[in-house]
Amino acid sequence: MKQPIYIKSACAISPQHSFNKEEFGKPWTSADTNLLQAIQPDHSQYISPVAIRRMSKLLKMGISSGMQCVKEAGINEIHGIITGTGQGSTLDMEQFLKDMIRLNEEALNPTYFIQSTNNSVNGWLAMLTKCTAYNQTYVHRGLSFDLALFDAMLMLNETTATKYLLVGGFDNMTDEYYIIKDKIGYWKKDRINSLELLLHNRSAGTIAGEGSAFVTVTNNPEDTMCALHSIELLPDADAAETALTINNILQANNLSPDDIDTIVCGMNGDKDNQLFFDTILADYPNATIAAYKHLCGEYDTASAFGTWVTATIIKNNHVPEELIVKRNVQKKIQNALYCNRTLLNQTTIMLLSNNQ
Amino acid sequence: MAEKIVVTAIGIISALGYGQEEHIAALRSSKSGMRYPRYLQSVHAKEFVVGEADKSDKDLAALMDLPTSGNGYTRTTLLALTAVKDLLKNTDIELLHKERTAFINADTVGGMCSVENMYMDFIGPDTKPENLEYIDTLDCSDSTRRISKYYKIKPFEATISTACSSSANALILGHRMITQGLVKRAICGGCDALSRFTLNGFNSLKNVDRNLCRPFDQNRMGLNLGEGAGYLMLETEASANERGAEILAVFSGYANSNDAYHPTAPSPHGEGAYRTMKEAIEKAGLRTGDISYINAHGTATQNNDQSEGEAIETLFTDNIPYFSSTKPYTGHTLAAAGVIEAILSIYGMQQSFIIPNLNFETRMEGMSLQPTATLKENINIAHILSNSFGFGGNNVSLVFSKS
Repeated sequence: MKQPIYIKSACAISPQHSFNKEEFGKPWTSADTNLLQAIQPDHSQYISPVAIRRMSKLLKMGISSGMQCVKEAGINEIHGIITGTGQGSTLDMEQFLKDMIRLNEEALNPTYFIQSTNNSVNGWLAMLTKCTAYNQTYVHRGLSFDLALFDAMLMLNETTATKYLLVGGFDNMTDEYYIIKDKIGYWKKDRINSLELLLHNRSAGTIAGEGSAFVTVTNNPEDTMCALHSIELLPDADAAETALTINNILQANNLSPDDIDTIVCGMNGDKDNQLFFDTILADYPNATIAAYKHLCGEYDTASAFGTWVTATIIKNNHVPEELIVKRNVQKKIQNALYCNRTLLNQTTIMLLSNNQ
Repeated sequence: MAEKIVVTAIGIISALGYGQEEHIAALRSSKSGMRYPRYLQSVHAKEFVVGEADKSDKDLAALMDLPTSGNGYTRTTLLALTAVKDLLKNTDIELLHKERTAFINADTVGGMCSVENMYMDFIGPDTKPENLEYIDTLDCSDSTRRISKYYKIKPFEATISTACSSSANALILGHRMITQGLVKRAICGGCDALSRFTLNGFNSLKNVDRNLCRPFDQNRMGLNLGEGAGYLMLETEASANERGAEILAVFSGYANSNDAYHPTAPSPHGEGAYRTMKEAIEKAGLRTGDISYINAHGTATQNNDQSEGEAIETLFTDNIPYFSSTKPYTGHTLAAAGVIEAILSIYGMQQSFIIPNLNFETRMEGMSLQPTATLKENINIAHILSNSFGFGGNNVSLVFSKS
């Protein structure tokens, strides 16, 4: 895709105080249970009291963060809603499934069935924003949000008219889903403090998390947080193939590795994941390295939170101390690489820059 | 003007059979695939007719040279794999590795068909429960990943889940990616297997007819569920010509828009459906008078057929083309519905017949339109419109044209 796109606004509900940006990191929150839960904002700002009672956590998080993101963009109209979710509303799915088993397929409550539909957040956001335009939902594990952002970039490259798209990713970690993933070795055997996750990178597994993050993106550079030049999604790449992809992106944008001053990484404390990042980062000895999964935990759309973090630090021209893996002297954040990688080796590479 | 995107291969499995011949034979003889389920283990199995594919899980696994039990492949994935196998039967598989190919899949409930029978063990105290190989198959992209791996499709894969319009959306993404030159080819479509979860879900909404569904009939009582998988291979016309591939249809237009009205009900007078059909026809550079046939979403629920019917009347006024819903043949195959119905329409277009809308007797009150109720042969079909409307107000219309 030839034209860059621009992040106009970003909003995140996460295990950190992120919904109101000025509170980010004041204070940092942590868990010792290997499971980070998102801090819930006051959802009544965007959802009626009747609806709030019926809705599961995922719907509420998706709606509030999506609507807040549109508000912060200060735009009158959006031209599409594109989201990603690894699991949709697991809580509704679990409730309907267990009721079905318990009640032997009789007298079931349809609300759980409806809300378990993967695009239910999208439907609500379309209603609340009165957006009748393009509406899409990707459900592709660790690339779900990334595919939504990819689609948005594709769409903005198809037009010359000024457009604004709402793009988000959301997942919640239920007790049952945690148990299921535990049985296939996702989580660390020992209970650790989440803020120290990256110190435990010699053992297998990570910690669980959840959240919902949205960005508005546009082809109009005016008054935006940062520019996104490239996004590449690798379903199952090793470190060598990923490094090659990054080099291709840099070349296509007339940059060399030395031009990259900041790298935001989705390292998750797993030993193989760490080896991957060690290999990739060896080519960038002069860059500041930041990480975010010790703040949000690992979940299918952690990349949405990672994108929120990246846009925020570029806009503020500042990487908070708690995110730093390695700091290098730099005057300004100009060119940033973003690299997320999941336990299933799904990898996302983005090139972003400061456009102020 | 952008280059034409064409269809060069088709793969399909549904209640009507496996592959092109069985499907065309069933359509031409007005033979429905609906019956009481043989494989779906539900307490309602003797109450609801469904569109269940004839092959058992073992048959499907054997077709793919997979172990026939405990293989971790759910029925959803097996249906999808066999449909892709059908698609590739006349295609050089090397193309998938040599040139950039996207696999864009669609699915609504992943491996629910398997997991719903194992779930309590999965969340129970046993750390290594039986059927552990199925524990993470509830994920919608489980089938996508397994198929990409099985056929070594590279470099792009995606899974879309927008309820009943999912696979129609997968086709649109393939079209757009090829148009922008990001991939040379795309295999796009969707899959869903019958599950107790979806049967009970739609039943809890009082949306399921116990008897054969009657789309666009005044006395319709709801939908019948079905299962299946279908895929189209898309590429540019130049790419097809370059390798001497037969062009089966031109994928000439599409639109996706949202009702922004209600989580499950369509906009009452079909404003969303109207807008979507209109945009798709315009995108194809056509006028309403150019459309020879509409494959309607036509679920036979009260809401859908009312609003879709009104939308068709508003858009086509007194010049309504032949139209039918093919759901009485296959059942509502959810994520697979969009692509399966596109495929059936393409078969009709290639062989110049209009697929009749089964089980139609009485026109809907207050409306003048009625579906094509008997088979029409030797009809020159130049352009077809295929509708898919889903929960969350997600509307998609696709236009295919004769090559």
